[in-house]
Amino acid sequence: MQIPTLINRGRNGFNMTPMIDVVFLLIIFFLVASHLSDQETHVEVDLPTALSGQPQSGRDSNRITLHVPREKTVLIAGREVPFSGIFEKISELVAFHGADIELRIRGNRSVSWQTLSPILKACADAGVWNVTFAVYGRDP
Amino acid sequence: MKKITSYRERDRDLGIRMTPMIDVVFLLLVFFVWTASFHLVEDTLPTTLSAQLGQAENQPEELPPEIEFDEIVIRIFQQGPLVITLNGLPMADVGELEQRLQKIAEIQRGSIVILHPESNVPLGEIINVFDVAQLAGVEKVQFATDFGASP
Repeated sequence: MQIPTLINRGRNGFNMTPMIDVVFLLIIFFLVASHLSDQETHVEVDLPTALSGQPQSGRDSNRITLHVPREKTVLIAGREVPFSGIFEKISELVAFHGADIELRIRGNRSVSWQTLSPILKACADAGVWNVTFAVYGRDP
Repeated sequence: MKKITSYRERDRDLGIRMTPMIDVVFLLLVFFVWTASFHLVEDTLPTTLSAQLGQAENQPEELPPEIEFDEIVIRIFQQGPLVITLNGLPMADVGELEQRLQKIAEIQRGSIVILHPESNVPLGEIINVFDVAQLAGVEKVQFATDFGASP
């Protein structure tokens, strides 16, 4: 690497290259760190397809994602919750965040209504009415 | 003896200094490769719940007594092939359902459609019917949860 000399500095003024280097390195570091923290809670689910789906809204502070990758298996915030204890868990979330939370269900397309119906009922019983389904806009 | 050249002279010989440029170009490359998302974009399908229908053992021909006249109930059964009924009337396919719902939506503004699937119907099929109802112009599509359904 070329060492900047007084002559160079005198000619070019301020040397921007190392600063851009460091700034980009910092950007990439924070980007990767945030991406990895997102991936931590990402569960591989084969979502159903729907044409009438809407893009996700940017405000997601009140959104809680519930993953249903298999029959009778529910994960809330990346952690498995016993199927019989869903109502208690949702009630806990309502007590903590308030009833105006958005509960987003990421369910596998092959999961039956037998598994989903109790989840929806638990939401209704706990007072959560803003329930959304995650879908693909087109077939993957 | 070889003459030691100054930086100024060397710069003049090479023109552009390549090393910092390659540095920055590689950083940009890594940045764009990392930010390019390989995941499919997920959409959101908003729903509303309706806890008013009874157990799912009812036959498709028999409407539950608590249903009002202006409510439209779509039931989905999976007995081998998928069977969809609209207020007890079996539909040939999803296309026929869409046509009928379109007509209903034209006649009756603000009609509510209640989706009541059988317990063994997969989510993919339920969302498909839900999607068809929304595309047909029905303002409100609700899911019916059974009173008996508990985890």
